[in-house]
Amino acid sequence: MNVYEPFRAGLPPMRAYLRSLWSRRAFISEFSRSQLREQNFGSVFGQLWLILNPLLLSGVYFLLIYIIGGSSDSSRFAHLTSSLFLFYLISNCLTGGVKSITAGGRLILNTAFPRIMLPLSAGVVALFRFIPTLAVIFVIRSIVGLTYSWQMLWAIPILAIALLLGFGLAILISCINVYFRDITSFLPYMVRTLLYLSPVLYEAKTLPERFQKLEAANPIYHLLDSWSQVMVYAQAPSLSSMLQALAWALGILIFGSYFFLARERDFAVRL
Amino acid sequence: MISLSDSSLDAHGIHHEHPKNGIAVSITHVGLTYTTSIEKRPTLKKRLTSLGRGRKYTRVVKALNDVSLDVHYGTVLGVIGSNGAGKSSLMRVISGIVPPSQGRVEVYGSVSTLLALGVGFNPSLTGRANVYLGGLAAGMTRAQIDRQFDEIADFSELGDAIDVPMRTYSSGMFARLAFSVAATVKPDILIVDEALSTGDAKFKEKSLNRIKELRTDDRALILVSHAMATIADVCNEVVWLHKGAVMMRGEPTATIKAYQDFMQVRKSAASDEDV
Repeated sequence: MNVYEPFRAGLPPMRAYLRSLWSRRAFISEFSRSQLREQNFGSVFGQLWLILNPLLLSGVYFLLIYIIGGSSDSSRFAHLTSSLFLFYLISNCLTGGVKSITAGGRLILNTAFPRIMLPLSAGVVALFRFIPTLAVIFVIRSIVGLTYSWQMLWAIPILAIALLLGFGLAILISCINVYFRDITSFLPYMVRTLLYLSPVLYEAKTLPERFQKLEAANPIYHLLDSWSQVMVYAQAPSLSSMLQALAWALGILIFGSYFFLARERDFAVRL
Repeated sequence: MISLSDSSLDAHGIHHEHPKNGIAVSITHVGLTYTTSIEKRPTLKKRLTSLGRGRKYTRVVKALNDVSLDVHYGTVLGVIGSNGAGKSSLMRVISGIVPPSQGRVEVYGSVSTLLALGVGFNPSLTGRANVYLGGLAAGMTRAQIDRQFDEIADFSELGDAIDVPMRTYSSGMFARLAFSVAATVKPDILIVDEALSTGDAKFKEKSLNRIKELRTDDRALILVSHAMATIADVCNEVVWLHKGAVMMRGEPTATIKAYQDFMQVRKSAASDEDV
């Protein structure tokens, strides 16, 4: 028996919600996979683009740094590519998540399911797109001759934090877009600005001291800094960086989920 | 949540999961109110400019007002009423798509949550992918969909088109696939909201026959339609909604007549139009 009653206190009954979400996990994987297939539907290389994209991108930066820039700083090239790929994981969560609710109109209007599945699927798509780039990072590291160490296992918790943050951002922005459709147009500029404010095109340690303090307000600053520390220098990240990155990720995930869950019953009448 | 039994039910209902006249859906004092913004597309700019003037571009819609209704197993309930009467809102509340603002809804059994119209939400995916996604979203397992997929594809008569992106479908093909899903996934409570009224004459007849086949003692059917001839033909009970409230409930012919008298429409080809 299912009972439907008004809930005014904001959140739906959480146990039932989570159980219903878990029982539909197959939807998330099926939806993500079909979206990936669709993105390259009809192109000659098809799914190969998942690996071609990061390869071509790193090729462009190789041209920029080694050939045009005349530099032979291998750590700079490794930093740029590995940081950029992690940045794309986050930005793909945002750009994929923003329309996930508004594009799910027919499904939302006609089927009862936890709406949070849609932005979560956008996060999974971003993850699927990220995994091949991870392989490219390791190939580049090996080619430019960077050393490996066990400290590189820190990449796993960093990725976990990045995923928490990515899911949180996807959930938050998909909900904002239901109320402010303009956010879709702002998003490319926001992502571009975030890129320049983050230690991707430069390394965190090269920033002047006073900027480094301000960067505490950048949710991905410490995440990217720790990532670069691990993936380029094969060293353990600083504990305070990891904790700040985790705090941001959890903060955004919890706030975004609350914001979303308190409003999702409204979505069906807003689309 | 849909949990479908494996047992195959024939037209005579060989398998009785629910006692005859057991309650399928119990609706008590349900009200549904929502606030909508009047702007067609809510934008930040309009919000900002309207903030200073203190004007609110919102409107409170009372979609349902103190509706109480029981639907028993074995019933084929027709829901009629003019546009905006709250028919679809009531169906969404029963399906759990929109929670009620007041009152309580109890659903005993699996509901096809208007699943039909959820199919095809992503037109760039194939018909097959859309059927799977719609089913998974409604809480079915992959294995359950696997078992029923061939029957769905056969009934829809789409042939190879099932593996083509749905944006290439004609509206008739769309409707055929949607109906096939709803009619093949045999839920305890089937809600058909206007999904019958599309498709060509041959398919309309086929879908009406399927609805008749689905009338068994252990299933409740709720049909929302403007086609009075169909309602009179298929249903054994009709409820008439007007402005969110129940105006009348009872035997089909009498209720339809009261509704038509009220609306001052005569029995005509237009009001009678069959599914």
